[in-house]
Amino acid sequence: MSLLSVDHLSIGYQTKNGMLKAVDNIHFDLEKGQSLGFVGESGCGKTTIGMALMGLLPENAVILDGHIRFQGDDLISLTETQWQTVRGAKIAMIFQAAMNALNPVMPVDEQIKEAIITHQPDISKTDLADRMKELFDLVDIPARRMKDYPHEYSGGMKQRAIIAMALACDPALIIADEPTTALDVIVQDQILREIKKVQEATRTGLVFISHDIAVVASVCERICVMYAGQIVETGTRKEVFKSPRHPYTRTLLNSYLSLDNLNDIRVPDMKESPDQTVDTDECRFAGSCAYARGCAGRSPDWIDISPTHKAFCCNPDVIRRGHGKS
Amino acid sequence: MEKADSKSRILVEMKQVTKAYASRKKLFTRSSPQVLALNSIDLSIAKGEVFGLVGQSGSGKTTTGRLLVKLESPTAGEIFFNKTPISQLKGPGLKTYRSRVQMIFQDPYQSLNPHLSIAETVLEPLIVQKIGTPDTRTEKVVHTLDTVGLSPGEAFFNRYPHQLSGGQRQRVAIARAIVLEPQFIVADEPTSMLDATIAIQLFQLLEQIKETFGMTFLFITHNLAAARYMCDRIAVIHDGHIVEVNTADNIIRHPEHPYTKQLIKVQPGFKYTR
Amino acid sequence: MQNKYFVSRFYKGWQIFIENPLGKTGVIILSVFMIMAIASFFVPLIDPMYDPMTGIDPDIKLSTGPGLTHWLGTDNVGRDILAQLLEGAKVAFIVGLSSAFFSIVIGTLIGMIAGYTGGIIDAILMRFADIIMVLPSLVILLILASLFGQFNIWIIVFIIAILRWPAVSRVIRSQTLSLKHRPFIEASRVAGASHVRIVLRHIMPNVLPLAFLYMTFRVTSAILVEAALSFLGFGDPSQVSWGMMLQWVWKSGHMFQAPYWLIPPGLCISLLTLAFYMLGRAMDEVLDPRLRKEGQTG
Repeated sequence: MSLLSVDHLSIGYQTKNGMLKAVDNIHFDLEKGQSLGFVGESGCGKTTIGMALMGLLPENAVILDGHIRFQGDDLISLTETQWQTVRGAKIAMIFQAAMNALNPVMPVDEQIKEAIITHQPDISKTDLADRMKELFDLVDIPARRMKDYPHEYSGGMKQRAIIAMALACDPALIIADEPTTALDVIVQDQILREIKKVQEATRTGLVFISHDIAVVASVCERICVMYAGQIVETGTRKEVFKSPRHPYTRTLLNSYLSLDNLNDIRVPDMKESPDQTVDTDECRFAGSCAYARGCAGRSPDWIDISPTHKAFCCNPDVIRRGHGKS
Repeated sequence: MEKADSKSRILVEMKQVTKAYASRKKLFTRSSPQVLALNSIDLSIAKGEVFGLVGQSGSGKTTTGRLLVKLESPTAGEIFFNKTPISQLKGPGLKTYRSRVQMIFQDPYQSLNPHLSIAETVLEPLIVQKIGTPDTRTEKVVHTLDTVGLSPGEAFFNRYPHQLSGGQRQRVAIARAIVLEPQFIVADEPTSMLDATIAIQLFQLLEQIKETFGMTFLFITHNLAAARYMCDRIAVIHDGHIVEVNTADNIIRHPEHPYTKQLIKVQPGFKYTR
Repeated sequence: MQNKYFVSRFYKGWQIFIENPLGKTGVIILSVFMIMAIASFFVPLIDPMYDPMTGIDPDIKLSTGPGLTHWLGTDNVGRDILAQLLEGAKVAFIVGLSSAFFSIVIGTLIGMIAGYTGGIIDAILMRFADIIMVLPSLVILLILASLFGQFNIWIIVFIIAILRWPAVSRVIRSQTLSLKHRPFIEASRVAGASHVRIVLRHIMPNVLPLAFLYMTFRVTSAILVEAALSFLGFGDPSQVSWGMMLQWVWKSGHMFQAPYWLIPPGLCISLLTLAFYMLGRAMDEVLDPRLRKEGQTG
């Protein structure tokens, strides 16, 4: 049994222009101790997936279809009260605006203790103290800083405290949505190492969401590339980044400025993103695709490249012909 | 620190520029502590150059840009534009300076007035600088919109910012900055709010503009890779000090300052996959 | 061209507004009063005896209760109460809207100038506003009235406006302060735009919605002040306002004898101010996105 199994999940937003399909028929599994990255640009639905996994979808969101199974239970049918025993305890989260998640008038250790006590009311004092020490060690905050207030922490330390809080109840799954986007590169680098180290040490499942492909590449073993609500390519980190197959993945990699790929830069011809209120089986990327040949009117399908690597396209030739990073 | 650029080719020069902000006075204390955003920096940018200023938040990079477009004035030191000091500029002199130096802001959602149409936004610099007649202005705006890739320009004329995507808004902001054909443009993180596929297209656009008009750019960014892609020379700024200036390639290949080395080391890339 | 954005925003705002129960109720009540105010122009044309001020029913010498010729009855000299009530609606609108309009014009101008210039001018203007804000407007009006006798209605409007702008100017000032450093204002400065141009072209359109919101609250207070003043006998004797009607009831000693005369003007004052208040609350929701619910995608 997988830790997390998402099955044909579709989520729509009720808008005045009709139902906007933000997540369209998404399918993935996550085993214990694995890390899975979602990468895509604004509006691709990655944040909606994260919110659905935490039961925090906004009011106008509708789950149109599919299942989310976590340790065998269907999360979609949970009531808000049932969610409260899952959220924070079994599934923890690290947000983008995590800095604001700390209460400014309460010492950091108190806030983390509170998180533990909420889910384990009968924990003994010594166990609690041990657990606190263990947590602060894990995220490399010196024990003498435990009783400080959030404003005495730097941005990076606050983010570490948030990670410690997420780990407080020893969750089976952590959802991290753009956890380093607001941070400077030097701090970002530290936090990414921290997340990776902690995830490997605790064997927690990790769903990592980011718009930055290099950030995802540095943390996750498996990657899902998303475009307009759909997963268009999935594979191991090596497969996706060293041998990208879907035209959108190639576009994304070719547009990404990093110090080691400047010669690979190609300026894409991206058209307006497709109207997601229109329900269609056709390829959503066709309008901006450099490889589109007679794709109109055809529905894309999953094409296997290896047992772990597949892409969603109308054109098997384009997918099978590996282009390396170009 | 400087390469041997002949003095005559220098367009913008900052000499010993310091900018201090008074931090809020605390109750019951007499002295008001100052925060040094810029600490005696020297910088010179040659005509036709794309000069990169790379630093993290709070390093003083945005302050540098704001001083150059005269949104703020230095606490000490002097800035020269075409060898003329700009700190004393007032009235008509300042207005002429404003027509030669323009800025592109970071956030395309904040840098356009929601109440003005695209045409009105791009027209404004021409109107306030009293350039051309209403007819020639309109023509100029259409042409400029075409140049920044919003074509046909007429189609965007009567649209409003909220009807455009982030990338299109930033193109409008670029159009507003180039419509006066300035000599110098300060681009303050023009793509940091945009998706990578959109950002790379804007970089290409800025490059085309530079080729067409021969403008000089100060490109402010936190992203070393973007600076390397765009710039001829790069200055690394840290805590109000410029720690290193060199050509883009040299600064990446042979960094000298420990801070530059650290920046290069932590730059996201695909090292984990190789 | 500028209107197009306003129109689309107005339409969007209107939809949120009208879905709000407070806004809907406010609009309904307000429309009723609007119809009353318009009707006041036509009623005297039916028969001169329905003129609210001079139309005396020749057959009636005493205040009478509701009947067929006078639906709400007459006052003690035989004037039609319904006609007076309609006329009162007109006067309430004139007093409320015009004094609110003057006070937001003054308040918006001073607020924008104070917020935009800052420094010493800001300090002077705001301290001045503070002084006026703490003045009890009714007491001031009473003192002035006892000094100069009864006022013309337009002087009352003007004095209420003069006394009620500071609250508007504080809000507009803080809004201007937050706009002042927005990049689109700075872009305009970098282009060489003058301060006057920046204030009129960039800041004003962005503060106007807020000014209109405050106008609805000003209307409420202006109507109440005018009613109080008239009831106390310092109103414009040539105008029939609801406050004036109450004063006549009281003066002629009909307070407890003629509920048909006392209740309608009192009820009208309460309902009209309530309607404007509800309007303001609903507009608040349109202008403050935090009170709204809207979806987002990631």
